[in-house]
Amino acid sequence: MSVVRLEGVGKSFLRRDGEQLEVLRNINLEVSERSIVALVGASGCGKSTLLNIIAGLAEPDQGAVYLNDMRSSAFKDWRSMTYMFQEDRLFPWRTTAQNVAFGLEAAGVARGERRERVMKVLELVGLDTFADSFPHELSGGMRSRAALARSLVTEPTILLMDEPFSKLDPSIRASMHDEVLRIAALKQMAVIFVTHDVEEAVVLANKIVVLHPRPGRVRETREVALPYPRNPLSPEVAEEVRLLRLSL
Amino acid sequence: MKRSPFQMAQDRRLRLISLRLLLLVIVLVIWQIGSLGAPPFILPSPARTGSAWADLVVTSGFWADFGITFYRIVVGFALAALVGAAMGLVLGASRTLGEFFEPVLVVVNTVSSSIWAIFALIWFGLSNWSTIFVVFMTAMPLILTNVWQGTRTVNREFVELAQTFRMSKPKVLWKIYLPTILPLFFAGARLAFGFGARVSIVAETLGASSGIGYRLRQAADLVQTDQVFAWTLTLVALMIALEAIVLKPLERHLFSWRERPSA
Repeated sequence: MSVVRLEGVGKSFLRRDGEQLEVLRNINLEVSERSIVALVGASGCGKSTLLNIIAGLAEPDQGAVYLNDMRSSAFKDWRSMTYMFQEDRLFPWRTTAQNVAFGLEAAGVARGERRERVMKVLELVGLDTFADSFPHELSGGMRSRAALARSLVTEPTILLMDEPFSKLDPSIRASMHDEVLRIAALKQMAVIFVTHDVEEAVVLANKIVVLHPRPGRVRETREVALPYPRNPLSPEVAEEVRLLRLSL
Repeated sequence: MKRSPFQMAQDRRLRLISLRLLLLVIVLVIWQIGSLGAPPFILPSPARTGSAWADLVVTSGFWADFGITFYRIVVGFALAALVGAAMGLVLGASRTLGEFFEPVLVVVNTVSSSIWAIFALIWFGLSNWSTIFVVFMTAMPLILTNVWQGTRTVNREFVELAQTFRMSKPKVLWKIYLPTILPLFFAGARLAFGFGARVSIVAETLGASSGIGYRLRQAADLVQTDQVFAWTLTLVALMIALEAIVLKPLERHLFSWRERPSA
């Protein structure tokens, strides 16, 4: 069974000057259970649009999207999918625990259960001692963990991420990578993420989709069979990074 | 010896209190000196004003007038807050409605409170509603404008985040719009309450047969200048008390997420 399948997806936007801008053309993609897929490409190749289409935030003009082998128009279980943005998007007026609880409030989970699940997920990302802190009291890495916790607390089977760690320091980014891999394996999630960082793609993904811009289309799909954890300094990873750079 | 943060905070408090007391003493001294060179019906001395106030407070009419004025301000303000917030939200939510009604707001804002007081007298006569109407017409546009501006500061990214969680529209209004608008609503409401309280006195001097404004005019007509001063002091005390007892603590409670020092 595939968690996400795209068949011939195309998308155009109407530009301000009235011209049609083709953003995506004939995208085919298959994401199987528990796999980690990276969408890589230069800016303007429609990576984020593609992620928005999968998330149901945008409609494709051509082609079809299947979630759990079901047409996305018939798909009901949207709350099994969460979206982590490039910015942490934490509400400044909510504490860490309240921010994490946001998705549970949307689903109408009762207060007591909310508390329990929030504390569990805060422990998972190592933020349990900062449950009552406000976002401005957290460091960049901690804010990113809080955003990750918010994406995890609803127990998704699909996690979408749009360059979620691009604004973090390299060392913190590396620890967030470990965190995502650990939790994805633990929770048996499928992860689809967008990045322009080739090394990030190789360290995390077991499948890398290379997109070419204007209009965005799939240039190549690479399987990465290296065992986890992957050290970015090891020769095998460096070789993969080199090959991936060549196809960009 | 190093002083603890608690002691330092206490020092700052003491310093502030002594500064305030010093200012009060200076004002009283200048007032006293000024009153020596003028007859009491021009400028009564602080002592005379004090005794006039003491006499005033014990009369049964004092609390009735005080209460009726306070009641009119609160009712006018509450109506203004309700209508202003609701209309601000509606105008903010719909671009077309906002553009259509913008001139009305400009016109309402240019009409002076005294003119509203005259209209109120024509329409409502000598009743509570005259003063309430004037307070409402002064306070409502202020609150409406602030809430309307507030809807424009709502972060699109937060709304998009709520969409990814499939949050319902009413919940988005409650959990994202309301907290975003609240600081602006509060600032507007505070301003509106101050303006409303001041214009209520103008309205009462013109269109009421009770209340602080009515007593002020009566005292002025009878050249009881010490009474005028006593009523003025009462008003000032009322506004300071409201600020210190209601508004400041409420603000501190609502916006505690901003005030906490960073870790």
